Amino acid sequence: MKQKQPTIRDALYEAPGPKARKRIAVATVISILALAALVIAVIRRFAENGQLDARYWSIFTRYTTWRFLGYGLAGTMTAALTAGVITFFVGLLLMMGRISSFKVLRALCTVLIEFSRGVPTLLFIYFFLLVVPQFGIRLPALWKVAAPVAISACGVVAEVLRSGVNAVPKGQTEAALSLGMRRSSVFFKIVFPQALRFVVPALISELVIVLKDTTFAYIVNYSDLMQNARVLISNYDALLSVYLVTAVIYILINYILNKISVAVARRTR
Amino acid sequence: MDISALLTQYGDKYLQALLTTWKLTVFSFALAFLIGIIITVIRVCPIRPLQLFGDFYVQIFRNIPGAALLILLVYALPYLNVILSYYTCVLIATSLIPSAFCSEYLMAGMNTIAPGQIEAARALGMSFSKIMKNVVIPQALRSSVLSLTNLLVATMLTTALASQVPMNPMDLTGLVSHINTHAVGGVTAFLISAVLYCATAVVIGQIGARIDRKVRILR
Amino acid sequence: MNSSETNTAPPIIELSHVDKHFGQLHVLKDISLSVKKGEVVVIIGPSGSGKSTLCRTINRLETIDSGEIRIDGTALPEEGKKLAELRSQVGMVFQSFNLFAHKTILDNVTIAPIDVLGKSKKEARAEAMELLKRVGVDSQAAKVPAQLSGGQQQRVAIARALAMHPKAILFDEPTSALDPEMIGEVLDVMTALAKDGMTMVVVTHEMNFARRVADRIIFMDGGSILEENTPEEFFTHPKTKRAQDFLNSIQAH
Repeated sequence: MKQKQPTIRDALYEAPGPKARKRIAVATVISILALAALVIAVIRRFAENGQLDARYWSIFTRYTTWRFLGYGLAGTMTAALTAGVITFFVGLLLMMGRISSFKVLRALCTVLIEFSRGVPTLLFIYFFLLVVPQFGIRLPALWKVAAPVAISACGVVAEVLRSGVNAVPKGQTEAALSLGMRRSSVFFKIVFPQALRFVVPALISELVIVLKDTTFAYIVNYSDLMQNARVLISNYDALLSVYLVTAVIYILINYILNKISVAVARRTR
Repeated sequence: MDISALLTQYGDKYLQALLTTWKLTVFSFALAFLIGIIITVIRVCPIRPLQLFGDFYVQIFRNIPGAALLILLVYALPYLNVILSYYTCVLIATSLIPSAFCSEYLMAGMNTIAPGQIEAARALGMSFSKIMKNVVIPQALRSSVLSLTNLLVATMLTTALASQVPMNPMDLTGLVSHINTHAVGGVTAFLISAVLYCATAVVIGQIGARIDRKVRILR
Repeated sequence: MNSSETNTAPPIIELSHVDKHFGQLHVLKDISLSVKKGEVVVIIGPSGSGKSTLCRTINRLETIDSGEIRIDGTALPEEGKKLAELRSQVGMVFQSFNLFAHKTILDNVTIAPIDVLGKSKKEARAEAMELLKRVGVDSQAAKVPAQLSGGQQQRVAIARALAMHPKAILFDEPTSALDPEMIGEVLDVMTALAKDGMTMVVVTHEMNFARRVADRIIFMDGGSILEENTPEEFFTHPKTKRAQDFLNSIQAH
């Protein structure tokens, strides 16, 4: 009888005997009770501090609240997608430099990639907020978020793309060259499309990081989800509930993006 | 301000900031690793509600933006009568987020183990704890060296969150924003911090790669 | 072997009325089987006949729904230390070798004697080197499994089982994952073991090996034991239609 390969979660434990079954049943009941107690304790904490009062939560029954958060979310998405597109193309250039045959260019791109990967997004944001204006350059708020977030992500994107290019079999290039194709068209028509297919899941995961980094938009006064949440808070004096709902929105969006990434990875495999 | 003027005026502060960033990174990573292991154990234990709780924990903390978590800890928790110091808030945020990723990497490390090896260990008469000790844990750790190295770098980058609250001494990011709002530090002030971060990241990466080469499991 | 001992001693492995289902599928139907000390029993049958499952129930890598399994007179415990202890007395060799990927060949052989039987490192190493020499891979002792060929890995797996001084060894299709040119070296080791009097239960598709080495052939199909006979009788005069068909289908290849 051939069975499908079990995963590690199944393999770790063997089929329980009667004693183990009893122990698991008892532990299951206890853990359910403990988790329930935890949830109740949290809810009670909210109640005791008046945080379950209707005035904190009734704002979420209003259409205008959600519309305002929706505008914020649109701002977040705009910033994330702008940064995402920039970082993709900058990452692509860095990757091509990194694998090029010019030694100097290769070294330069390696350094830039390491720099991008080794410096926190926040530092880049402060650079665009505080240093860039010292040169008399005035950027719109969107770019003050999107540019540093993109710079901070492009190093990883370059490395992800490079791993994709490395995963394309050498025979593909050789076959295309033997057909008389030019080197550049071999790369863009044969190698890169295949590489991209390999790395789409990793790129989606990187988009999650980009989206998370855009929450620093409040520093540069760009209206994203977090910034609009702050406006709501000052209007309604409902800090905890609004921040909590905002955090849940972020978590859900990123959760969905990660699920998409996993689904794509499964399909391309 | 040129680099020598900057260093005479702020040299000590940079050193202090570097040490603060390092310290915060080490503490956060140690906590993240510990919590990551506990969460991983919970996720693979045979008790279904605990498994679900572990999965839930990971999804929350790998998907919440660092800023959102820090804001909740600093500004929202006091409304529940939980008042923590700024430092504690930062440490919690920079530990919980990496802990979720740590658990993901350990799970991935475990999944590289062929289930047949566990059966073989079982057939040799090893108990569950011996199987964990001899087969599962060593292989899971050894195959997650590179991802844990990357996690250490990511943890360091996350500690820049410390710049969002008043801290004394400041971290590398906080110092740059401090200098640039008080004097015209310019690009140099920014570059010094960036290079210190980057050098740390490169050194961590090199050490990680060396360890990985040493312990990598041939398959 | 002393004949009086054979008569009074309990069989090393004894299954009585074993039943098992995988969901709706009845994979083992009322299996009774006993293996005496020093006996080599070869289980053959078409794929999906339940022969591998049967082999894996003997040390409870697969659970059973009903019936009884005894190892050297002791009922197979359902869990815990007692089960681990009994398993340590029954060796197992898998289709996919299942060597520990992170340990050297030598450590693969010594780990269980040290950690389960409590032997000293020195003693375990000396004995492991002996065993590795016996299966012809002593020169590879310092390597890790991935550096060895499939045939070498499987011979190490046999040495690993032997290091526990098992009362019997179960072989679950030990040559099915091997390239053809490596099958011989593994079968040679198994043949030598059989000659030395090891009690063996072998699930295999190697009919020549079965014919040469087995004391008894068990033919399974559809989860039942359909025939049990000496190799000579089984291969020349199969009693059931299904055994005849099976042998014909193999010879056709």
